[in-house]
Amino acid sequence: MEVPAATHQAWSDIVTGKKAYTLKFLAVKILIARLTQSVSLDPSPDNVQASAAQLRELFVKNMAIPAVKEDLTTIFG
Amino acid sequence: MKHQISTLEETQKLIAAERILLIAGDEAVLAKLPKGRWVGGSTPYFMTPGKGGMVSRDSLFVSDITDAVATASIKKYTADSLPQVYKDCPDNGFSYIIIPALSSAHMAFALNAPNYESFGFNPLIGWIAAVHLDDLDKVKPKVFNGETGEAIEDGAIVLHAALPPGKVAEIGIINPFQQGPGDTLTFEQDGFSAADVLVNGQKQNFAEYMMKVASERDDSNEALVEGQKRNLDEYMKEKNLVTKLQLPLVADYYGALVNISFFNRIDKDKGVQFYAPVFKGVKYKLAAPLPDYVGAFAKLLDAEKVQEENILFSCNCVLNYLYSNLENKKTASFVGPVAFGEIAYQLVNQTLTYLQIK
Repeated sequence: MEVPAATHQAWSDIVTGKKAYTLKFLAVKILIARLTQSVSLDPSPDNVQASAAQLRELFVKNMAIPAVKEDLTTIFG
Repeated sequence: MKHQISTLEETQKLIAAERILLIAGDEAVLAKLPKGRWVGGSTPYFMTPGKGGMVSRDSLFVSDITDAVATASIKKYTADSLPQVYKDCPDNGFSYIIIPALSSAHMAFALNAPNYESFGFNPLIGWIAAVHLDDLDKVKPKVFNGETGEAIEDGAIVLHAALPPGKVAEIGIINPFQQGPGDTLTFEQDGFSAADVLVNGQKQNFAEYMMKVASERDDSNEALVEGQKRNLDEYMKEKNLVTKLQLPLVADYYGALVNISFFNRIDKDKGVQFYAPVFKGVKYKLAAPLPDYVGAFAKLLDAEKVQEENILFSCNCVLNYLYSNLENKKTASFVGPVAFGEIAYQLVNQTLTYLQIK
């Protein structure tokens, strides 16, 4: 499965807290917790986009891990 | 991977055979080891394959990872260079880190790791080096660079490893604690201590709040400490540790429960100290009581479905060791050092952490 681009709405929805998922990969959970807090303090479009890009990159770097593939399916179907 | 309790002589032979080793033990024994392909950290507490929990100032806990990795390199970091630690990990690899407790590197990592560049791009697993509780105010925890023979009181030692093609490393945590139903606690700044707390949004002296909580709890129990049945409250009081505050604060990180353990005796004037920092804006709750740690742990182990032969490293927390009376008890196939903090990407407390190679 290809990892959708950072501009995909789902990434922004996660870091802004608009959508929440039950995910498995520990590093993703820790990062989302930090990014959602950052975005709540600075909801500017630049910060939302940078946070979305950072979250996407974490998925890209860990695609060999089964839990990450499962999380990607949970988010994007 | 082979994990075992070894004598100094047995470990010297492994080093001489150029095995790649992760070693834990008392500082005095680690200091006697020859140079070689190993990293080490101080602790006299272990979870062992044969006896379960044990305390030893003579033995070493040795994990031989030679056959599990393609390459391995050892690097020392300071508090200032630690932000590079995730970037330095090779692709398709992992990094194993040990940091001495209460050092500036410990503080820097604990407060900032999730903000380091490339956080989470590769697994970072490890532990916070400890000392015997009898030596808390006398001896500083240390980490060792086996390649140079250097013993480090402030800094971190990291083994960066690449895996053979087709293998992948994955970190897991087993945290038996859940958030309790009580007050929501937040803090106005990041830190290893807090004078004040916001209890459901209302500012209070944190020490007074915790003293009230402690007086309402009945956490007293007995534990086997170094072969002797002891009243845990009395033992902790002797060691100047928190009494009746065995349950950590628990934060919910998008479904991952992360504990913050209480470190020192509560002092109304000095505030409350922790083994890991609390963070501004994060919502904490005191953990729900856990009357049967071993039983709860066993249930979680069953759910994890981890294969023993895949575990490259695991460690547990000295507070779990004490509060859950783990001496002579086994935690399934999870063996390794018992630490003053565990690292699973970031610092966690009272949590079993492990790394699998699959």
